[in-house]
This record gives sequence, structure tokens and C-alpha cells, in this order.
Amino acid sequence: MNGAEVERRALKLGYMPLSDCLPLLVAQQEGFFEKEGLEVELLQEVSWSNIRDKVIVGHLDGAHMLAPMILASSIGLGGLKKSLITAFSLGLNGNALTVSNTLHSELFELNSREFDQASNMKRLIEQRKAKGLPALVFATVYPYSCHNLQLRYWLASVGIDPDKDIELVILPPSQMVDHLKLQHIDGFLAGAPWNSVAILQGHGHCLLTGVDIWQDAPEKVLGVTLEWAEKNPNTHHALIRALYNACAWLEDNAALALPLLEQHLSLNSPLIDQECLIPAITGDYIFDNNQLQSKAPGILIFNRFMANFPWLSHGQLICSQMKRWHWLPQDIDSEALVASCYRPDIYRQAFSALGSKNIILPRDNFNQQHLALL
Amino acid sequence: MKPARVMLVDDTPSRSALLEQALLDQGLIVVCRLESAQGLIKNVEVHQPDIIIMDLESPDRDTLENMTVLNQHNPKPVIMFSDEEDSKIISQAVQAGVSAYIVDGLNPHRVKPILDVAIARFREYQALRKELKQTRDQLADRKIIDKAKGLLMKTKGLDEEQAYHTMRKMAMDQSKPLADIAQNILSVMELLIP
Repeated sequence: MNGAEVERRALKLGYMPLSDCLPLLVAQQEGFFEKEGLEVELLQEVSWSNIRDKVIVGHLDGAHMLAPMILASSIGLGGLKKSLITAFSLGLNGNALTVSNTLHSELFELNSREFDQASNMKRLIEQRKAKGLPALVFATVYPYSCHNLQLRYWLASVGIDPDKDIELVILPPSQMVDHLKLQHIDGFLAGAPWNSVAILQGHGHCLLTGVDIWQDAPEKVLGVTLEWAEKNPNTHHALIRALYNACAWLEDNAALALPLLEQHLSLNSPLIDQECLIPAITGDYIFDNNQLQSKAPGILIFNRFMANFPWLSHGQLICSQMKRWHWLPQDIDSEALVASCYRPDIYRQAFSALGSKNIILPRDNFNQQHLALL
Repeated sequence: MKPARVMLVDDTPSRSALLEQALLDQGLIVVCRLESAQGLIKNVEVHQPDIIIMDLESPDRDTLENMTVLNQHNPKPVIMFSDEEDSKIISQAVQAGVSAYIVDGLNPHRVKPILDVAIARFREYQALRKELKQTRDQLADRKIIDKAKGLLMKTKGLDEEQAYHTMRKMAMDQSKPLADIAQNILSVMELLIP
């Protein structure tokens, strides 16, 4: 144990069965929680809504959460309103856009040489409109998610209006592949391993990864309520250190964690096997079932590039996009909202007491590069 | 005041039937009972419910939550029930496995009684399930104990009472449930006597 005595030893943490929940699983299996004096029970949840509600009412101490959800809940978007905060990012990136075989071949018929298919997508959408065909349907996993924001950003980059020119639906990640197979949707933007599942089963092609849209993008965070964090500062610090150690361990040993990940992800999903978990975890990515793997380094980053730091600039990026799509009032004070949800001060405190030589802390809480996209 | 129109989404039909009856008894209208989110959004548009009660453990909640984002396809906002003055009821709802969404700003005072009924019925159903499981377990235990007793009688030449007492003593000495002892006897005996 490193820091001051924890206020609570026994903790319940929620997670969604996705590849980027690994830091929690590893912290448990490799004893990083225990080393910080914590006894953690991990609970698998079926929806992001459940994760939010259970954290808000206190049935969970904290959870694997979508970064935009912290901001949305803090101002009560969609209902339950409670101040949520994050002082730890569980990693960067992890998402990809997979389209159906039909849509893929239509895009490539238009132009096969282009790497980024955004402008082809626009031409295709215009052609379909002219022919009176129904709008293309794309799915993401939750309204207030980086998935949704990235897909909208990519479409809008070539002038496609995501609210008018296509239909955007929300589906649980585990149902993406079935809906793609049944042609209910033409594509989806989701996190690992669901793109790989669709591709390896021959139901889709990966058009591009999240890295191609936003490099080193914020994704999942450790979310707790402000109330909980104020009552349990030492526990929060211990939790951050344990998860940091798990993320650092993963940076070198991710492949060793594949059986652990398979065990948890296959609990409720018969489609999951180790093969489909490998691409995102190792970076030997498969974009197309007929092609050999290609290197996609940094497709899912657990620790390097200061991946765990809760950058205010990440909060600002998310906030700017939520404003762009009119989910947030235009006159909202973004800086104040982000400062109340993103808490680099707590991250710094977690490591300050122990003179941690191995942990690189950035000088500033803000990285201007994150906003270069805007 | 017109009665509120309720939509139920629950993949456990026996539970949602129970809830439907209770809501009808209160004079409410149950416009639609869905077992999955297949066509969820369309059903909301067709049936125009005032409130949607949904099983908390349904993965389709996230699909419904998309309707909380206001856009031109969705002129009626669907909002998660959240009466900030009474967060206790939300905690109770989560505990019982109930979530509630209000369509187009139904007055919270009209939501509460509906939510109370849902929480009560979900709890009742939970209790029923637990009771059923206990009864089943007890029956299964009895079968195992009888089988082990029979095996002891046959192999050790004991009468029924002696066989039972032998197992009881083992259970007490090892402070284990009788059914566990019986299961151990069966496993060992099956190994020894092909």
C-alpha cells in the first residue's frame, strides 16, 4: 500500500464487456487493487444507461464510462442529473467504422484508390437520394459517446449532415454484427472487439479506424460521482494508482491478457473468441477478411503517450462537439463545465504522496494539440 | 384527466403480464407490451405512450435513450424519469430493476404512482422466482439424499434409519449441509462401484 489509509476497502466497479475494460480486469487479476488495500468486486453491466444509473444512485462506487457521459449527466441531459467526474482516463482510441459488404463494394466501385472513403460516401449518398433510395443507416453505441461524435465529425468533414442525410441509430455493441448481417444497418462505429467480429465472420469491411478521425482520442474513463470522490479521496487515489499500474502492465503484456478478456467478454456473447480479440489488442489489425493483417499501431492505447491523464483539452474537444450538434445550450460555459467534470488535480494528488519516479506528469492540464481538430 | 398511456418493454412475459394487470387495475391504459427493442422507436411513434417502463437489465435501454436527444426525427423528447426532489424512488427503482422514461413531459406527480406499482410488481416477481428456486433446490436435495441413503443401505448393509444417521453424523462432524454429504457419497461410490 502506498498512500494514506483508504476510507473504503470494499468497492463495486461496473464495466461493459468491451476490450477497453481490460485495465479493470487486469488490476483485479494481477493484484494491483489488492496492493493498494482495495477489495474490488467487478460487475458486468448490459447497458451504458445502467452504468450511469447505478453509479448515480450509489449501487456502484465507480465504473468504466464513456467520456461524454460524464459531461451529459452532470448537466442532466436526458434525465438523471448528478455531478459526475473523472480523474483517470482508461486509455485512448479503440474505435473503428465497419460497413456492410454491399456498401463497401459500392464505395469501391466509385473509386478504389482513395484511402479515406468520406468523399465517396458523400457521392454515394447523393446518388441514392437522386434515385429515391432510402437513407443509409449507421449505428453507434450510445448517444453521448465519442463513437457518435467521431462518426458525425467524419461525415460532416465532407459536408454530410448526420441528422438529415443518413439515419443514425443506437444499438448495443453486441448486436451490431447481427444487424449488419441482416442488413438492418449499413455500417457501425463501435469499439473493439466488435469490428473484428464482423470482419472475421465475413459480414463487413473496416473502412477506417477511430485514429483516422481523431488521433489519440479520448474514449473510456473511470467515472465516479463528485459526492463519492469528496467522501473518499484516499480510496479514489488508490483506485487511480491501481488502474495506472494495470494500464502500464498492459502496455507490455497485453497479449498475456487475452484469455482473461475472452473469459469475461464471452460470458454473455457466444460470438466472442480469442481470435477476434487479437487485432485491437496487438495492433495486427485485419481490415478485410480476404486480406492479410496490416499494422495499425496505437489502435488501442492503454498507457503510453500519457493516455491515463484526464486532459482538460479532451473535455473541451468533447464539449465543443456536443455543442456543435446542439446537445448543449449554445451559451453554456464550456470551460466551467469541463473543469467541474475533468479533474487532473486529483490525478496529480494520487501520485504526489509517493514521489513516483516512474510516472510522468505533464506540466500543463491542457494540450492545445487536442483541439487542432476543431 | 385522461388516464396515462403506458408502454412496457420487458423480455420476461410473465412479469410484464403481472405488471400490465396491476396497471389496468389502476385504470391506466397499457398501449403496448414489447419483449425486445425490435421496432422500439417505431412503436413509440405509433402508440404514443406517455410513459415507458423498461426492464433495467435490458441491453436495449441505450437504444431508447437515443430518443432523449432531440432532433427532427424525434419531435417528442423521451426523458429518463428523474425527480430530483425524491431520489429515493430512483434508487428503489434501480434496486428492483425498473427504469422509466417520460414522453413529452408527463407530470412527475402522475409518474410516481405508476413507478410505485412497477417497483412493487418487479419485487414481487423477484420474490416468487426466489421461492421457486428454493423449492426446486429442496426437491433436488431430497432426491440426492434419498439416492445416497439407498446406496449406503445396499453397499454397507444398513437399514434406512442407520444409513440416514450415518449421513447426519458426517454432516454434523464436517459442519456441511446434508445434501453436500450425500453428493460426496454418491461421487465416491460411483467411482468405487462401476
